[in-house]
Amino acid sequence: MLYALMGIGLSIITGVLNIPNFAHGALFALGAYFLFTLIQLLGNFWLALLLAPLGVGLIGVLIEYGGIRPLYRAGHDYQLLLTFGLSLIVTEGIIVVWSPVGMSQLPPPLLRGGVDLGITFYPKYRLFVMVAAALLVLGAWLFLERTRYGAIMRAGIEDKEMVSLLGIDIHRLFTAAFALGAYLAGIAGALTAPIRGLSPGMGVDMLGIAFVVVALGGLGNLLGAIAAGLLIGVAQAVVAAYWTEASTVVIYAVMAAVLLVRPQGLFGIR
Amino acid sequence: MRGYTRRDVLKLGGVAAGAGLGFPAVLRAQQKEVVMLGLWSFTGAFSDVGPVLDRGMKLALDERGMKVQGKSIKYITRDDETKAGSATRRAEEAVDSDGAKFIIGPWSSGVALAVSEVAKRKKVFHYFSGGTEDIAGARCHRYSFQWAASPYTAAKTVVDTFMQANPKAKRWHLLVADYAFGWSVEKYVKEVGKGHGIEFVGADRHPLGEREFSNYVTKAAGNKPDVVVMINFGLDAVTGAREIFNFGLTPKLPLIMTWSSGVEELVQLAPEIRENLWVGSNFYYTADTPVAREFVKSYQTRFGGPPGYAPAAAYGMTRMTLAAMDKARSTEVADVVKACEGLEVDDLVGRMRVEPKTHQTLRPYFFMRCKKKDAMKGPMDFADIIATGSTPLPVEYAACKDIGSL
Repeated sequence: MLYALMGIGLSIITGVLNIPNFAHGALFALGAYFLFTLIQLLGNFWLALLLAPLGVGLIGVLIEYGGIRPLYRAGHDYQLLLTFGLSLIVTEGIIVVWSPVGMSQLPPPLLRGGVDLGITFYPKYRLFVMVAAALLVLGAWLFLERTRYGAIMRAGIEDKEMVSLLGIDIHRLFTAAFALGAYLAGIAGALTAPIRGLSPGMGVDMLGIAFVVVALGGLGNLLGAIAAGLLIGVAQAVVAAYWTEASTVVIYAVMAAVLLVRPQGLFGIR
Repeated sequence: MRGYTRRDVLKLGGVAAGAGLGFPAVLRAQQKEVVMLGLWSFTGAFSDVGPVLDRGMKLALDERGMKVQGKSIKYITRDDETKAGSATRRAEEAVDSDGAKFIIGPWSSGVALAVSEVAKRKKVFHYFSGGTEDIAGARCHRYSFQWAASPYTAAKTVVDTFMQANPKAKRWHLLVADYAFGWSVEKYVKEVGKGHGIEFVGADRHPLGEREFSNYVTKAAGNKPDVVVMINFGLDAVTGAREIFNFGLTPKLPLIMTWSSGVEELVQLAPEIRENLWVGSNFYYTADTPVAREFVKSYQTRFGGPPGYAPAAAYGMTRMTLAAMDKARSTEVADVVKACEGLEVDDLVGRMRVEPKTHQTLRPYFFMRCKKKDAMKGPMDFADIIATGSTPLPVEYAACKDIGSL
């Protein structure tokens, strides 16, 4: 589910802005670090979980407004370089602000420990993350499918010029799309922090998987991103249960297998 | 203006061509200064360790005022990217173009085995610290030395001490990093465990750089062990320990980190996760030797926190190399290799002796038990050293049959 969350965010940005956002992993890491600091400041996990991704969304707005927008005319290569550079800057920034040494953030006391599900033993916090991520994915999907602005965003993915000709402020749409993508990356990071801990390079590990999800689902295809995120998560879990050594390889094996049969991705048309 | 003769032009051309090939630089380096290469991971899976390794080596060189045997030391570093290909390429470049004759590092066992081959081929001195037994074992040769305790020494210290404290904990589940270091330590943990009647109810291997441990922990929980034992390192170990806690296995069950970096890993874990954590390491900063006390003091003054295994290893290896140069009264590789063989000193972790037949440094290994949160006297007061062991690898296991010639 977390993969799906990262995938949707990246897919929105890739689809609407037509650039592969290399800073997506860094935004994911920022979400985790914001959560950590907010818990230190506020002493409340839930409030921090609410605010941290909003902060990342705001950073997303700043990146789009201050960085990507001036480069629209310069072309894709420059935007791509910008997001790549930003990912390095954010990662180094994390080292400067929070130190290069990793940290642990415990789940809230309510969600510590595990529960016996009969067939297996599972941590409460992971169950919470599963439910929360499923609700967020559902929320994002409903927003994109059922609201007017969601429809505009999807239209923007399909045909930017037409949307612009219809009198819609395409630049505001771009900003909104980037902010939403950043928000989703931020919340995925914040939710992940108690599971995987915090380290400056944590975004790099996730970025690769997010790109796999986007490519597998079909570039810019949101339903595809959800399906691909789930597919990879399930494949990884199943393989790990029987052949643990291959649990990382399976991510890329699934991608290769699907792309061989459907080069455009699961739901892709391009 | 002075005119150039044909002879002058030829001379200049010769010098320029030579410079292009790098010869004069190397010759100069050989004569005036000793070039020491710190081959560390600044990127890749062990990128978090590179900077602290660099600190350790610099401290050891600074202690000597960057001089040895009347010559000045030139310290250079290269990023091995935690990859064998990059490490060997950069090591060769440093030897060929910068005249490096002494290589310290790299940090990853798998990468170090490749670099050891470079040292052999290029005939340069190489000191390494890590968990693979092959450098002082099956792939031993005259130019490479091992600073870390033998995986056997480590396994013996950890298993014996733990079983003394928990004689009933006989069902062990192992979680092993799937590369040279993990295999070596696993082999001896099982070997020593046999003597205690330990039943290994599971042993899963995970790739280096694994970040998703839930599946391994689910399997471990299913095996109903008395103790979970990790043989992994760095972020892998930290992520694993965190996940084992999240599943609620610790602190009910004890968790052993067999071969840990100590401080660098422990600081990343919340005190709640460290409860009932038992840690084996090649160094812990409360080690009670004169050299360690001095090293810890100057490291803390300079960097604001206690050193872990990584900077200690870099510091210790550099000191051993310099001690070998002193013993040899020379900085020529062949002399230093001969002097290092059999070198015996009271150094960082206590009595240290380099076994001439295998190039294994015989030395103590530490086993610690982490403190509960309320027993900690400060944020860095992680653990008490409960045992040190220095049982060397028994002869029947020694895989280094012939160390070869220079």
